[in-house]
Amino acid sequence: MHNVWLIAKREYLERIRTKSFLFFTILFPLLMVGGIAVEAISSTHARSASHIAVVSHDQQLATDLQAELEKGKDSEMTVDVISPPAGDTRAILDGELANKSLDGYLWITPATQANARPSFSYTPRSAGDTSTKDAVSSALRTVLVRERLAHQGMVASDVNSLMQPVEVDSTQAGKNADTMSTYIAIYVLFFLMYFVIMLYGMNVARSIIEEKTSRVFEVLLATIKPEQMMAGKMLGVGSVGLTQVFIWLIAAILLTSTSMVSSMAGGNVHVSLSAMQIVFFVVFFVLGFMLYASIAAALGAMTNSEQELQQLNMFLVMPLACCFFAMGIIISNPNSVLSTILSLIPFMTPLIMYLRLSLTAVPAWQIALSVGLMLVTIYAILWVASRIYRVGILMYGKKPTLPEILRWLKYS
Amino acid sequence: MPIVELQKVRKVYDTKVAVNDISFNIEPGTMFGLLGPNGSGKTSTIRMMIGITVPDSGSISLFGQPFTRKNLHRVGYLPEERGLYKKMKVMDQLIFLGQLHGLNAATASKRAHEWCERLGISASIGKKTEELSKGMQQKIQFISTLLHEPELIIMDEPFSGLDPVNATILQDTLVDLRSQGRTILFSTHRMDQIEKLCDSISLIHNGNLVLSGSMRDIKSKYPRNRVEMLFDGDTSFLQHPSIEEAKTYSGRAEIKLRTVDGIAPDAQPLLAHAIQRGTRINRFEVKEPTLEEIFIEKVGGKVDA
Repeated sequence: MHNVWLIAKREYLERIRTKSFLFFTILFPLLMVGGIAVEAISSTHARSASHIAVVSHDQQLATDLQAELEKGKDSEMTVDVISPPAGDTRAILDGELANKSLDGYLWITPATQANARPSFSYTPRSAGDTSTKDAVSSALRTVLVRERLAHQGMVASDVNSLMQPVEVDSTQAGKNADTMSTYIAIYVLFFLMYFVIMLYGMNVARSIIEEKTSRVFEVLLATIKPEQMMAGKMLGVGSVGLTQVFIWLIAAILLTSTSMVSSMAGGNVHVSLSAMQIVFFVVFFVLGFMLYASIAAALGAMTNSEQELQQLNMFLVMPLACCFFAMGIIISNPNSVLSTILSLIPFMTPLIMYLRLSLTAVPAWQIALSVGLMLVTIYAILWVASRIYRVGILMYGKKPTLPEILRWLKYS
Repeated sequence: MPIVELQKVRKVYDTKVAVNDISFNIEPGTMFGLLGPNGSGKTSTIRMMIGITVPDSGSISLFGQPFTRKNLHRVGYLPEERGLYKKMKVMDQLIFLGQLHGLNAATASKRAHEWCERLGISASIGKKTEELSKGMQQKIQFISTLLHEPELIIMDEPFSGLDPVNATILQDTLVDLRSQGRTILFSTHRMDQIEKLCDSISLIHNGNLVLSGSMRDIKSKYPRNRVEMLFDGDTSFLQHPSIEEAKTYSGRAEIKLRTVDGIAPDAQPLLAHAIQRGTRINRFEVKEPTLEEIFIEKVGGKVDA
């Protein structure tokens, strides 16, 4: 155990000290902040700066529209009303578009028949300005419905209460009430897990290959067993991954609690994780990492170069990809037999079981069984990997065939 | 009680017999040379002695006990190729390797500093290993082998790739360690190094043990039938019937005398013959054959057998 600890400690310290670790660790949250900031700035910009004109023979419709656009819930535009239009209005407006004093104009042509809707044509200055166009068409819809309802003899206050948006609150039995934030948390953690398993699982394989090319293994094997060395590497590299994830998670929690993000999401969306979720995340992250790292270790033991490793990394990607495709099944019905079976397959447990845990109340025996199955699988893979390793290192330079690998397993 | 005992050790890779029923003993406090050309099975033999691979048949005992990993803490092993973490700083690396051998960090650091001082690489201890020359890296590897003060030191080609000055420093260190009572085994394909340093040797060729025993016994088994001459003038004396084989260089001859019934021939008649012929003799030395000559004789005779 002492040797495993020594190997893990060396691996951890050497990796933590590298520039790339520091770079990645800081860069990732910075990208998140940057992305959010750009999003926030562009969305506020689109709402405030638009200046349009509404041209209509129907003065009432034009001023209603103006009120909706200038003081409405979704927009704060400046709207000029031109009613009725003169012969040269269109030319003047086109001129204003050209000299950029106007962002667009809406031309309302009266209907030729009674009770028919007038036709609307919006001319933007830039075709890319879809947010203004969307705001205009949404305001038009509101105004037209309101006008029609008033026309039918409905009182203004009734119209307003009818037009109120509907909000649905959902409460999950014994769980976090906030479904939206639960989903966000699941997605974030799912991809974080996927990313870290891929990145650091491959790092275990690389680290083993590096040791082979630098021939350090010969010195190490003269004192310790291959199993100890592999276990040490997995622990060391895994701790680096965990360190990074914790830094990112803290950054994410700090970020989402700031007002900027909340305002961008248009309300009270915040990623709230229960203590239980964090515990399960750590447990399944660690086990998932160990499982995939043990596969990676076996791949590293079989190959002699980064290129060869690249050809084999589908063994890492495939199960993870399966998890991704299975996500839909789990989300739509987390308690079905299929979902239960999927979550008990060791290669899928870390992601799928975690997903189920966040969505529903999973029986304790299933959690215990899945953890037990993973531990057994990790041990088995590690055992096989160390056999492959012991023989593989001494036969490097040549790519093993499947029968050879099977023979290696029998070899001590 | 021998420190190392190999009995009929055999190792086969796929179809190639790497080590074929090799047996030898190493006595405590001696320097032992494992000799053989490249690819003869030296490294395969050494790897089995330290448990990196397992023999197909035969037995290996270290310190009078059948092989167990527990005893590896008493062994220092230097592999044939440099096995160091390239990105790690020299001192960190030495401390790490010392700890793997069961030292605590403080002891490892203290001893590593002492050794670096002794081998003249103190200035490099803060550098990354990859920044150092091959010779320097070999010294670091050398130190890492000795940090835990092993009773048995096993070195695979320790002097390969070193310049003469550094090779001498390491050789002197090994001689020192032997005088402290350590047992040392090293392998080499350079016979001249072994003649100077080793108490006993084993010579292997194509996985077979060709020759084994103490240096003195081996040499005494071979008659003093070599003559080295430095001369000026006529070379016709080389036609003398007592000469079996002669290599001549300018003013110098290496002569092998004809041996009859295993008795060392007398060189006097040859000397007399040369003087009679008017050749000026600057040096005339009767010698035992070198290890290299013994090796060639042994292996040469076995090629067709």
